[in-house]
Parts: sequence; C-alpha cells; structure tokens
Amino acid sequence: MTIEVAGLSKHFRVHRRPPGLAAAVRSLWRRRYDTVKAVDDVSFTIARGERVGFLGPNGAGKTTTMKVLSGLLHPTAGAVRVEGHQPFRREPDFLRRITLVMGQKQQLLWDLPPSETYALNRAVFGVDPAQARQTIAELTELLGLAGLTDKPTRQLSLGERMKCELAAALLHRPTTLFLDEPTIGLDVAMQVTIRDFIRDYNQRHDATVLLTSHYMDDVVALCPRVIVIDGGRLIHDGDLRALVKTMLPDKLVSFTGGVPAEEVARLGEVVKAEGGRTTVRVPEARLREVVSHVLDRAGADLAVEDPPLEDVMRKLFKDKRAAAPAAPPAEPPP
Amino acid sequence: MRLGYYARLFAVQARASLTTAMQYRADFLVQGLTSLYWLGWNLVPLLVLYDDRATVAGWSFGAALVVMAHFVIVRGILEGAINPSLGAVVEQIRSGAFDYTLLRPADAQFLVSTARFAPWRALDVLGGVGLLIYAFVRLGHAPSPAQLGAGLVLLGAGLAVMYGLWIMIVATAFWVVRMDNLIYLLSSVFDAARWPASVFRGVWKVVFTFVIPLALMTTFPARALLGTVTWQAGIGCLVGALLVSIVARLVWRLALRSYTSASS
Ligand SMILES: Nc1ncnc2c1ncn2[C@@H]1O[C@H](COP(=O)(O)OP(=O)(O)OP(=O)(O)O)[C@@H](O)[C@H]1O
Ligand SMILES: [Mg+2]
Repeated sequence: MTIEVAGLSKHFRVHRRPPGLAAAVRSLWRRRYDTVKAVDDVSFTIARGERVGFLGPNGAGKTTTMKVLSGLLHPTAGAVRVEGHQPFRREPDFLRRITLVMGQKQQLLWDLPPSETYALNRAVFGVDPAQARQTIAELTELLGLAGLTDKPTRQLSLGERMKCELAAALLHRPTTLFLDEPTIGLDVAMQVTIRDFIRDYNQRHDATVLLTSHYMDDVVALCPRVIVIDGGRLIHDGDLRALVKTMLPDKLVSFTGGVPAEEVARLGEVVKAEGGRTTVRVPEARLREVVSHVLDRAGADLAVEDPPLEDVMRKLFKDKRAAAPAAPPAEPPP
Repeated sequence: MRLGYYARLFAVQARASLTTAMQYRADFLVQGLTSLYWLGWNLVPLLVLYDDRATVAGWSFGAALVVMAHFVIVRGILEGAINPSLGAVVEQIRSGAFDYTLLRPADAQFLVSTARFAPWRALDVLGGVGLLIYAFVRLGHAPSPAQLGAGLVLLGAGLAVMYGLWIMIVATAFWVVRMDNLIYLLSSVFDAARWPASVFRGVWKVVFTFVIPLALMTTFPARALLGTVTWQAGIGCLVGALLVSIVARLVWRLALRSYTSASS
C-alpha cells in the first residue's frame, strides 16, 4: 500500500473572538479556545497506481488531510504512512517521492520564467541533468509547454501557469501525487488537458494519485474510486460507479423531438426540456423499454447518462447528515 | 557531498536573484545612485564635526572614517543579503508558498535565507571598502595582517549575530502570520492584509538598520583594524555570535514545529 491512513485526526485550536468591541477587548486577556475537528478519525488505504477522487463540501477537511499526507501538518492522532515513511518527519527520501500541487497556491517564481523554478527544483531534488532534460521534454510535449517556460510567470495566463506549476511539481518524477484542486478556475478545454495529462502520468509512471476537485467532471473522468468526507469524517469509500448506482439508480434519457408531449410524460419524470431537447429520469428497470420506445419515434439522436455526480453527492451528504445528527459541538475549553 | 549540494543550491538561488534584478535595470541604476548619494551624505556630519578639531572623544578623523566605512559595508550586506530574504519569507508564509519550501528536501532555513538578494547593494559594499582604503591612507598606515584578520573575523561574528536575530524575527513571523490567519478565519474587523508586513518594516527596520549594526558590527571590527580592540572583547564577540546562532537555530526549529502543527 502506498498510502495507509489509520484513525487520522487533525484538530486545530482556534481563539474564539466574540462579537462586539467590549468583548473583543476583554478577550485580549481572557482567551477562549474552540477546537476545530478538521479531520476526525479517518482511515483508508490506497494502493500503488490507483487514482482516487477525494470529495467533500467546502471545509470538509480535504486540504488538511492532504497536508498531513504530504508532511506539512503533524497529525493530532492516528498513524499515517506514505511511500513507507511517516510524512511529518519530512525525510528527504520521502519528499523526493511525493508532490503536492495546490491549485490555490503557486511555487513558480513570479518575476522569473518557469524555467528558473525548474532549475531550482532540479538542484533541490538532485535530479541529474540528463534525466531532467528528458523529463522536461516529456512534460513539454504532454502539457504543451513549448514557448511558455521562458516567459516570466507573471505574463502567463492562469491556465498556462497551472500547466507550468504541474511541470515544476513533477520534475523529480514523484510516484505519489497529491493534487488539491489542480483545475480550479480553468476553462473546460484546459481542464480536459490537465485531466488527460494526469491520467497519462499515472499510467506511464505507475503513480498513485489522490485528487480533490469541485468539478465533478474531473472526478468522473479520472477516478474509478472516490473517498468522500464531510465535517472531517469519512462517509464513503469505494467504487464511483457503484456509489452512483446505489445513491441514484435512475438514468437520464435525453432526445430531440419526435415523441408527442403526452407520451413523454408517461416515459418518466421530465427533468429538463429546452431547445427542443427533452430529458427524462427513468428507473433502471424501465430503461430498455423507454429507450426502444424513443428510438421508434425520435430516431438516432438519443443519449443515456448517469445522473450528474453533483446530484449524487448532494443526496449522499443529505442522507448521511440525516442518519447521524450533528456531531457534538466543539469540546469545552480545558 | 552535502557541501557541494548546498553550494549548487546557493548558486541557483543567487542566479535567480541576479536575473530578477536584471529585469529591473532601471531600479538597478537608481538604487546604485541612491546608495552612492547616501554614502556621500553619511560623510557630512563627520566633515562638519572634524572641520575645526583633530580628534573627537579620542577618535581621529581617519579612525572615525574607518568606523563609518564599516557601517556602510555592514548596511550594504544587511540590505543586500538579509533584509530582502526577510521580506521574501514573510511574504511566502502569508501567501502559502512557504508550504512549497517545506516540500523541498533541503534545509528550510537555508532555502529561506538564500531566497532573495538585492545584488546592487554590492555597490554599497564596494563604496564602503573604498572609504576604508581612503581612511587608512589618511591615517598614513595600513593595518597589519593580524589586525586585518581579526577585523574580518569580528565582522563575520557581527554578521552572524545579525543573521541569528533575523532568523528569530522570521520565526516570530510564523506566529504573527498564524495569528492573522485566525483573525481571518473569525472574520474579525481587522484588515489582515495590512499589518504584520508593516510591523516588520517599521520598528525592526530601524532596530536592524541602525541600532544593532552600529553598536555591534561596526565598532568592534573597526577597532580590530585599528588595533585597539582587547582580546577579551574579541573573544566575547565570538562567543556571543556562537550563542546567538545556536539559539536562533533552536527558535527556528520550534517555530517550524508550531507551523506544521497549525498552518492553514
Ligand atoms: N490553520 C487552521 N486553523 C484553524 N482552523 C483551520 C485551519 N486550517 C483549516 N481549518 C479548518 O479546518 C476545516 C477543514 O479545512 P480544509 O481546508 O481542510 O477544508 P477543505 O475540505 O479543503 O475545503 P475546501 O473545499 O473549501 O478547500 C475548516 O473548518 C477550516 O476552517
Ligand atoms: Mg481545500
């Protein structure tokens, strides 16, 4: 197992500042602390070469978990092993095997071309020049970096910069990739480029990938397996398709024209009808029947899709929160 | 092996700083001229003071020039090699780029300390050396090799003290910046983007640029060159430098531990 996490918790102690000026002044000498359970008793393992989607709403604890796994944060409790090391020791041999890409933070030197950051990383990671050249050639081809790496970073567009960030993070050929929202803010075409690149890197180097993204398309396209957390707690870990199937077993059938309005209503619940295209929700058991009916009337322009992952997630969080009423609030200050 | 590794790292970082500086060549020129201008102004009080007397408090004009030259050299090193990195690391902690520093398999203190130089400050250092030479011409004698050696060693000790204090200041930045994270988290009324950086620039800049360098780093090496420093004072300086360096390293590690237990 490349990544082993057992009973991981990460709690932050935050100073609580009550509202109001008087209270704020008083709190200068009487500080009250709250404990934020950013990650709470989470366990999972990931095998070499897996691509796993790490999902959860804002504040779920995804970034915190990634930081613990990459050694930036000490765990409060629990055992973590990544590539055979305890991350928080930050041993050079460990750091040479992993990488963390944060879509919201950049490592490229702002005033200099990305190639300068590559030179720095090459020296820091002790990559020998021949291998570095080969890696850069490979990354340049896969990411389409030609012409970008010699312009100052500040002159690059967001998407171009992200591609260069990825290259900087992968120069030392890590075998475990923690990708925290690597596609944030990118247009659809650029998202697809990055996605394809990640899959390709994963296959070429048998690299393990843990990916967070709020764009469900990334996850659907890349990750056969998903781990879902909410409020710091693990609520699902398993096959993505199976999750979709159990949460929302219905399929979405869409087609253009051809079917009279009164028949459409009988096919299933209409989810969307715009621009002459109709989408109906159909239970899996009736799928065959509905599809053949529509094919008879509407001809070839027919599509059958899984319900969007967004809907699946929404339902998952709702169900779990209903099942386990709010976790006890923060511990009282000691 | 390790030494070679860090020498290479240093070279790469220094080159990056130089390349950045070259992008702002106009700055280079302006900064260079400004430092020469200030070098001139620094001399004015001395010239006024020594206009109608040969010595002030036992210091001749030449000897006072030696001290002044040290001040210029030290300030050049401070503003060229130490302050820019201070700014860079506080900025890194603030923007979160410091996380990337911690992900690199090299000593974080080394990476941070060599992150940014202001190469044009070398002009100050050169100006200071020129002044030093002129001062000894005025004095009519050159320092002996032993005095020169002692001067260099004490200058090194002084720089070590400065650097140690600087590292401790950076370490406090871990806490200050964290605090303002909390402020941000709790959406308080403070404008978090504003104050810590200015705190560092305000008070510390004064302390670092004037008080400590003047007292510690200028007088002792200057007196070593002039041959008026005692053995005891010299050894005291060295021991002090060693102690500050050790304490600084400990404080740095403590701060790093606190950072990794609660950064965001
Ligand atoms: N340094 C810190 N101090 C205090 N609380 C923190 C700190 N860092 C994170 N938290 C809290 O921990 C929780 C989890 O944060 P985290 O950044 O891991 O969420 P996330 O799942 O990455 O969310 P998002 O999708 O918005 O990026 C949040 O409630 C956050 O406010
Ligand atoms: Mg996050």
